Parts: sequence; C-alpha cells; structure tokens
Amino acid sequence: MRPRIRRWEALTALALVASSPAFAQPRPAAAPPPEVAASAAAAPSAPVSLSARKVYEQARSQLVQIRTVLKGRASQTSVGSGFFVSAQGHILTNFHVVSEAALKPEQHDLVYVTADGREAPLVILQLDVLHDLALLRAGDAAPSGAGRRFDALAFRSATEPLAQGERIYSLGNPLDVGFAVTQGTYNGLVKRSFYPQIFFGGALSAGMSGGPALDEEGHVVGVNVARRIDGEQVSFLVPAEFASALLARGKDAAPIVGSAYPIVDEQLLKHQTLLTDRFIQQGWKEATHPRYRVPVPPDVFMRCWGTSTVSNNGGLDFERSDCVMDTRIFVGEFTTGTISLRHESYDGTKLGALRFAQRYAASFRNESFVRLSSQHQTKPRCEEDYIERDGLPLRAVVCMRAYKKLPQLYDVAVLVATLDQSRNGVQGRFDAQGVSFANAQRLAQHYLEAYRWVAPH
Amino acid sequence: MGGAALGEPAALLEAVDRDGFVRQSWRIERFPVSIGRALDNAVVLSDSHVAAHHATIDVVPGSDTAPATIVVAARETRNGVVVRGRERVAGGAAKELADDGRDVELQVGRVQLRLRLPNHALAAEQAMSALADTDHRWLPTLGVAAAVLLFVLATTWIETDPEPFVRSAGMAVLTTIAGAAVWCGLWALLSKTFTRQSHFGWHVRVFVVASLVLLVLSVVPALAAFAFSWPWLTDYSFVAIYATAAAAIYFHLLAVEPGRRKLMQAVAVTGFVVGVALSLWFNVQRTGRPGEELYMNHLFPPQLRVARPTSVDRFVAGLAPMQAILDKKAKEQSGSDSEGAGDDDE
Repeated sequence: MRPRIRRWEALTALALVASSPAFAQPRPAAAPPPEVAASAAAAPSAPVSLSARKVYEQARSQLVQIRTVLKGRASQTSVGSGFFVSAQGHILTNFHVVSEAALKPEQHDLVYVTADGREAPLVILQLDVLHDLALLRAGDAAPSGAGRRFDALAFRSATEPLAQGERIYSLGNPLDVGFAVTQGTYNGLVKRSFYPQIFFGGALSAGMSGGPALDEEGHVVGVNVARRIDGEQVSFLVPAEFASALLARGKDAAPIVGSAYPIVDEQLLKHQTLLTDRFIQQGWKEATHPRYRVPVPPDVFMRCWGTSTVSNNGGLDFERSDCVMDTRIFVGEFTTGTISLRHESYDGTKLGALRFAQRYAASFRNESFVRLSSQHQTKPRCEEDYIERDGLPLRAVVCMRAYKKLPQLYDVAVLVATLDQSRNGVQGRFDAQGVSFANAQRLAQHYLEAYRWVAPH
Repeated sequence: MGGAALGEPAALLEAVDRDGFVRQSWRIERFPVSIGRALDNAVVLSDSHVAAHHATIDVVPGSDTAPATIVVAARETRNGVVVRGRERVAGGAAKELADDGRDVELQVGRVQLRLRLPNHALAAEQAMSALADTDHRWLPTLGVAAAVLLFVLATTWIETDPEPFVRSAGMAVLTTIAGAAVWCGLWALLSKTFTRQSHFGWHVRVFVVASLVLLVLSVVPALAAFAFSWPWLTDYSFVAIYATAAAAIYFHLLAVEPGRRKLMQAVAVTGFVVGVALSLWFNVQRTGRPGEELYMNHLFPPQLRVARPTSVDRFVAGLAPMQAILDKKAKEQSGSDSEGAGDDDE
C-alpha cells in the first residue's frame, strides 16, 4: 500500500571509510553513508586556474590528512582532512572524521599526516556535533604553546560576506589519493537547512571531509562536510563562523578523555530543545485536505513531497505526502535529531465500507518502529487509544524507543487514523528522533491536536 | 474338563489385533492346549518369533471354595510368554494364575492372544460410537462445510478489488476444497491403517467444524478489540487459535486410536501448552513483550466502535509511565553490552 518514494538520496558525509584500495566499494558497515567512492572520483572539475595554484601553495603547509587507526594495528579505518588554525597546533576537522576515535577511544588512535609526509598523533579538545565540527590539537605541540610554532590558516572576517558566484577553493585529500584543490563557487546558504550550511558549487569527494574551503585570499570560509550523491557539484560547507567559535571556545580545553558519548548526549539535548521549539512554533499549513485539517508543516526547514495513486482494478485510491528535514545529526554509527511526517488520504468510494475497512486496516498495520539495531535502541513500547478532536474521532498510537548510549533521548512515532467515515479516511504518522521524553509528549500533543474537521459537522 | 456342556467349548483362544479386532480364534475343546509353530500343536502360529513348541496352557478346575487355576508354561523358547502385559515367563518356566473371571492376555512371539473361559463375565454391549455414526450422517457436516465456504468467499470478496474478484473467488473455493480433501484424506489414511476404517466422514466433520471456528476467531477478537479498544484481545487471540487447532488434532486422533482417549488428550494438551509457551517466548525475544501485536491494528467501519474516545490531554499524559520502562530497558541492555563484547543485534 505504501510506495517508497525516494526523490533524492541523502547527503553523504565525506570521510573516506573504505579500506584499500580507495576505489573499491567501501565497507558496508562503516560509519558515514558509504556510497561515495567511484562516481565521485569521476566527477568533472573545472580546470585549475592560476589563483587556485596560488591558494594551494599558500595553504599546503597548513593542510593535513587525519587518519583513524586501529589501536595496535597499522591499518586505518577512516581518513579525512583537516587544517591548522593556530600557531599552537590546533586543527579543525569534521566530527564525523574523528567520530570513531571520539566514541570508541579504546579501539582507535588519531594521527595527522602533512603534505610533506610528517606524521604525529592528535588529541581531541572539543566537539560541535550539531555543526559536525571537531577541534583537535597536534600531539607534537606543547600544551602551553611555548613549543614549536605551526603555520595556520586565518578565517575570513564575518564582516565581509561572500557574494553568490564568487570563486572559492576547497582543499583536502580526496579518496586518500593525495592532497588536492578543487575550485567551485559560493552559492549562498542552503535553503531549508536547520543549521546554516554553505552551498558550494564544486566537486567534493570522500576523504575531503574536514578540509578547508578558502576564498581567493586564502582565508577560510567554510569546512568541507557533505555532498549530494544524486547531483553534480552540489556540495556543502560548514560556515567558518562555527569553526572560529569552536576554536575560541575550546582552544584551552583539556583533551577529552574516554568516550565522547556524554558530550554528544548533552549537545543532542540542546538540539532537541531547539528543534522542538522551532517545530511547534512554526504551526501548520492550512488547506491540506478537503475534509480535515491534516498536519503538514510549513516549508521552513522541512520539505514535503506528494504522490497520487489511482487503483486500476476499481480498488483503493490514495494520495500521499512525505515531509522530511535535510538536517540530521551524525552520531557515529547512526544519525538522529530529525523530524518527519507523512500522511495518506484514502478514497474507497468504489469499494464499499467492508472492503475499505480491510485496506485501511492493512495500511495501519504496515508500519515499522524499528530504525536502529538493538545495540543502539531499546525495543519499542506503544500506548494507544481512541481520541476525539472537536468531535472528530481518531485512533492514536504512540510508540517510543530509548537510546542506549544517549540517556534521556528517545525516538517517538505517532500514528493516527481518522474514524469518522466508512469509505474515506486519512492516516498520518509523525516521527521525531532523539528528543527528550517531555518533548516527545509535547510533539505528540502538538501533532494530535492538529487534526480536526475543516468545517464543523 | 467335565464341566463343559455339550456344544459349548471349554474355552476360546483368540489372536487379537492392536485395535481389538479378532484376527483368528480357536475353539478349545480340551486342555492342555499346545501353542507353537510346528504343525503338531493344537494352535499353530506361523510367526518367526514363535518357537516350534512355544507354550502350553492348562486349566485346572477349582472346587466350590477355590477358583480354577490357569497354568501358562513356556517351553523351548528364547522369547518366553508375556502374561497380561506385565509378567514374562521364560522358557522352561511356568506361571499359575488363579482364575479371577477376567480374560487372560498372552503375548506369544508377536501375536497377541486372549484366553476366554465360559465362566468369564461379559461386558455389556457398547453403543455404536459417534465416530462410526458420523460416517453415515453427512447433512450436518455439509451444512457446516457450506458455512465455511461462504465465509471463505466473503473474506475473498473483502480482500480482492472488484475487478479480479471472480477469478480470486474461484481460486479460493478450489484451494479450500482441495486443501480439505488432502487434509482429511491423510487422516483417513491414518485411520484406515490403524483401525481398518477410514472414518472419512468423521475427519471431514472435524475439519469443517475446526475451520469454521478458526474463521470466526480470525474476525471476532479483532472486531471486539476494535469496538471496545481492547488491544490485549488480539494480542493474545493466538491462544484461542492454538486451542482450536489442538482440539481438532485431538478429534482427528480419536479416529486413529479410539481406544486411547486419555493418551490422545495428553498429546493434544501437551501440544497446546508447548505451542503457547513457544509463541510467548518467541514474542518476548522478538519484541520484548509476550503479546503478538505491538499495537491494535484492526480497523472496522467506524459505526462498530463502542469505546468512548478520550481527550488528547489525557492520552498524552497517559504516556508518562513508558519513560520508566524504557529507561530501565535502556540501562539494563547497555549495561550488559559493555560487559560482554557481544554483538546483540537481531
């Protein structure tokens, strides 16, 4: 009954997690979505201009490759890029580049390798999971800053915003092939993103994650983070302001000892507060169904897609709408922190009441509440009842799962079926990932209260 | 010996099948009677597990105060004679039984013998069992069968879209009839093997009644769960389904081993208990709950709803107890995760 529409593939984070060789299919179980290697390598890029050469030469000594290495074994489990941001040896990269080492420090070591082949260990000072950033420090730097001095890249001043179409250069080590510079354009901020991201019109490949994007003067404007694998040269950067803020906040911090799950948990709790507040505050769209007000969110940080299916055997006709967020928070082996909604509006006038009820029930049954493996989440628990919204009767089911390594965070799903007509109905589903119990209740209430008749009956 | 009147045998020795049918009988005019494979025996048993001269049976008449004595003597035999299913008389030994008025069962080789004496009490005539009876009464069975077919047709009508309905209905009726024929045929074959009668009518009757009950069980609990908002009803309705299946198996078995009613009851009850326990265990493994359904997912036309709806506020407030349950599960499972390096993925 439910066709799986996939208009576009998800964002792909850019850490390279394939084992050797780089062009082989990546290991399927590896952390960031791994559909990257081959097609990315073939993506065309504009010819490198003179200024690109100048930018690369200036930045070459500040650029590093970041490797996550299995403890006690020489093999790397993932590679990304990074860059020096202070003379004291601070390095910026993406959280997803260092997530294995941050979350399972007992199994992984971090090292950096410079363009001229120098290799040294790294420590993690601070994480910004929500913007996918990590602040590291070179292990061969003295903590006081009195030791050796490092060449560092400077951030572009926030008072000089880039204009759309300006040329920018993204640096990193794609697919572990070697350090590279790719040229592209600044296209402003991504529309409907929950957290600001720069839309970079250039090619990014796996392994470039955490590398800097520089303007023509060689100042950092963003950090390479992701690309769309269903498009060409549609890539994303974390704006430099978050990177410089992280540096300011964490440059004197002590290295993180032990697993970073408590830090991730704390940041996700902040995220879910913001997400819940913004979601509830934005209200609902009107005119979503001729008979009911079916909850559909405005297009602020979500996108809705619709399909319409007419039965060709005189069966059930239905329309479907799917609303999703682009933003999701990467947490090592899974992502969370996103909201999605869906509804289907069924028309069984050709079928009669009994046949309609059978199909309506089959669709209500055809729901899964299992997203992550039992290693990460408990099994679902549900509560259900009939509820009434100004006389409109509904069957409501709320199912929740708790995260095992992220205390006080839950996934909540709300299932609703209207029960006022015998040949027509609407079924809706609301999902929020990684929210507190109180916010799960608030969101469930907000969603359920959105249902009502358009005109009084 | 002199006690026997003219025309009345001194005794009757019968070879009995395991279902109680008499395969062969010998009129015994005088004792002792010799049993064996050799042709000079009074009772010749051509079974390779029987010795040439296997045993003799003698009856010593009693007096007014003492009953007669039955003497079972095993002769040159390796296998001996088993008396009344309990006691084995080895070759060369003999066993004396005081005649208590009951027939004496003897096992000689693979042959089950029964010794009847004229003074033994006769059990009252038994009425024909329901089993044999149904073989001739088809009308009620046909009535139930028609109800089952109607039910199947109705279900097919509900489940298929208007256009392909006729074809699906034909298929559904054919599959039901063919399935019933195969099922009942196999049971009839078993009955024939063990009782010499196929009891086809009985098996068909058991099948159609059980099918009707199962069909009703596929609708009624779901309907009640919907009408009254009783999720537990469909969560555990599999218990009623297992009970029906166990009862059906019991009645089928009754026509295979009519003499072992108790044993068949035990088989059916054990099957039911084991089935239910396995299902509950499996559900706990799969979902962490003993019930079948995560949530009540049976929807019927809205007019059939009886339960009163609650308010959103009350419903959402009612979610609160889930938190403690989920937190407990998250804690105990992540705790066990870190201890064992085990991969507990399902």
